[in-house]
Amino acid sequence: MALNRRQFLIGASGLAAAATTMGLAACAPGSSGGGSQGGGQGSANDLALAFWGNPTRNKNTQAEIDAFMKANPDIKIAGQPGEFNTYWDKLATQTAGGNAPDIIQMDMNYISEYGTRGALLDLGKVDVSKFVEGTVDSGKINDKLVGVNAGINSALIFANPKIFEKAKMDLPDDKTWTWDQMIEVGAEVASKAGVPFGVAALLQSDALFGTFVRQHGKELFTPDGLGFDVAEAQDWYDLLLKGQKAKAFGTPEQVSEEQPKPLDQSAIVIGNAAMQYYNSNQLEAVTAAAGGELMKLLRGPSLAGKATERKTWYKASMLWSASAKTKNPDAAIAWINWFANDPAAANIDLAERGIPPNAEILAEVKPKLSAAQQAVAKYISDIKTEVATTPIAPPPGGGTIAAVIFRHGTDVLFGKTSSAEGAQKFVDEMKSNLKV
Amino acid sequence: MSAISELSTIHRTKAKTPEEKRLLAKEAGRDNKAGYLFLLPWLIGLVLIIGGPMIASLYLSFTNYSLIQAPEWVGLANYARMFDDPRLHKSLAVTFTYVLVGVPLQLIAALAIAILLNEGMKGLPFYRSVFYLPSMLGSSVAIAVLWRQMFEVDGLVNQILRKFGIPATTSWIGDPQYALWTIILLHVWTFGSPMVIFLAGLRQIPGMYYEAASVDGASRWAQFRKITLPLLSPIIFFNLVLQIINAFQAFTQAFVVSNGTGGPADSTLFFTLYLYQRGFVQFQMGYAAAMAWLLVVIIAAFTAINFYFSKRWVFYGD
Repeated sequence: MALNRRQFLIGASGLAAAATTMGLAACAPGSSGGGSQGGGQGSANDLALAFWGNPTRNKNTQAEIDAFMKANPDIKIAGQPGEFNTYWDKLATQTAGGNAPDIIQMDMNYISEYGTRGALLDLGKVDVSKFVEGTVDSGKINDKLVGVNAGINSALIFANPKIFEKAKMDLPDDKTWTWDQMIEVGAEVASKAGVPFGVAALLQSDALFGTFVRQHGKELFTPDGLGFDVAEAQDWYDLLLKGQKAKAFGTPEQVSEEQPKPLDQSAIVIGNAAMQYYNSNQLEAVTAAAGGELMKLLRGPSLAGKATERKTWYKASMLWSASAKTKNPDAAIAWINWFANDPAAANIDLAERGIPPNAEILAEVKPKLSAAQQAVAKYISDIKTEVATTPIAPPPGGGTIAAVIFRHGTDVLFGKTSSAEGAQKFVDEMKSNLKV
Repeated sequence: MSAISELSTIHRTKAKTPEEKRLLAKEAGRDNKAGYLFLLPWLIGLVLIIGGPMIASLYLSFTNYSLIQAPEWVGLANYARMFDDPRLHKSLAVTFTYVLVGVPLQLIAALAIAILLNEGMKGLPFYRSVFYLPSMLGSSVAIAVLWRQMFEVDGLVNQILRKFGIPATTSWIGDPQYALWTIILLHVWTFGSPMVIFLAGLRQIPGMYYEAASVDGASRWAQFRKITLPLLSPIIFFNLVLQIINAFQAFTQAFVVSNGTGGPADSTLFFTLYLYQRGFVQFQMGYAAAMAWLLVVIIAAFTAINFYFSKRWVFYGD
């Protein structure tokens, strides 16, 4: 009895339906294999080192690994380079599968996710005695050191001197400027130079918002959860609305278009912004992408108009962590210790991962830095007397803050909700994200 | 398949004595074994790659699982949480809009082009390839990046509009009102794979029906409605079922166009994108697994509805 056309077609539709649907549910964590070269394999002296990077960092890191293995012939390290966005998916999957890499390049937004859940090794044995004050604390979770600062960073404003020249304006005095003055300067330079943004990318900066709430005497996060209230969030959204009305921060469409753009297409790089929020370690890349135009570094504004009261801090651009499950904790610690304290490492890395937190190491490599890195090193040492205490790392779920502040902020800028309502939603969602 | 079944029919009619029946059963058993042997690679794949993870994901959907710590049983809590998760509701709204608008438009485009191509034009293989190309590229990252740049404030689309004197200043991807529509457009543009299937179906309709209809004085439109549509209905049904299932699982385009955020203002927050955010950004794999199962149920329901109503309009011609 052969199948007739009807049965065949019904069957085919049904089978295809079943097959495609099943593929979907099979998207369970276990199915995304990956991580064949994770920690658990080989002898105890074979270590895996995972990091995200760029071509320069990939080359540097391999050179560092080679130098380290030459000095420690009994340890073998295999580098696993990655790309920031996919790095975290892979790390989570590897950790879930019990084969996390032994040495992990870590980010401030993720350190508590891993640290509070016992996935990271206690790095108390790493020598951080020569680190500049305030640079060790970022890596502490519940008073235990689980991440060693691999480079100092600070959130600030880049200014494109060419645009200011075009507008025939001087750069603002960043030691005294307030948030309102930032709006005034931004509006003036945008209209005189004819660019869409006076200041770009403010809305996506959880770091500048962090200084803003600290200027109000609050914190982004406290050990108990969210450290600020709807009032501060609303003030921040009102500030952005004011800047938008003054034509200093771009239109809502431009703001939301800017957010997903890669660095080499960002507004300040392509000459669409006079100023833009960035982290200091991105200066070299921005300068290179902008055809060598060295951006000026401006301190973020304050409420009081005093740079010393703007409550900024030394961020860790990235940290070194190790898996709690590594078979060879001593070797992992040896690498981190070597990276933090041995000039051999610093001479290869220079300031690519941020300004070295170890004061002696910085002095050693400073003459070798590029013009952009020199400018960053100068900025980092200039603000030494201005930095406030280092805030605690975002607790689990806290890493979402940049996305959440941006999303509700977009609603506010588009006029879909009031700043009060947007702020309420922002705070509510953060509170629920922190309840993991 | 038919040969085997015919053989067994012959055997069955001939087999009379118990001895013969026993031998036949043995033979059939051997045949079955060989069949299963051939199926083995697929079966192993089904069990290990799809079945295993599916069961695991069903289990995880009842747990609180951060990926880093061992899962902890929470019963139906993940499913209960879905009721007051505004972003989940938003993502469902976005996905349903995408499916209910995108799929019909895509199929209409596919059918229209297939009919044009079926007119026996010269260079058909060339045009077929050209129109098929987008569906191979459509879900690629490169096209999504290109899409983003086309629909920016100063993107290609607005530049063309300005050439025609229209003062276009809208950011099609930056404005929450329009962002989803650019992705729906991208979906419609990838009409190639249903088009190829339609084309194959059109080829199977005997030309004599049209000849007879022409002789009787039926217009082209009447021919299309009375001959093409009914005879093509099984193919339309097949494409509809398949495309709906695929559309519900759309991910790449939204992920790349919004850089994984589902923005602006969650206007392109596809269900799968939100699932990914929960699982890999917020480390709530248990909740993400529960969401995956909700999607399975939704897709199964849509497919069942499709099959149910198919009785009313799908004509199998036998």
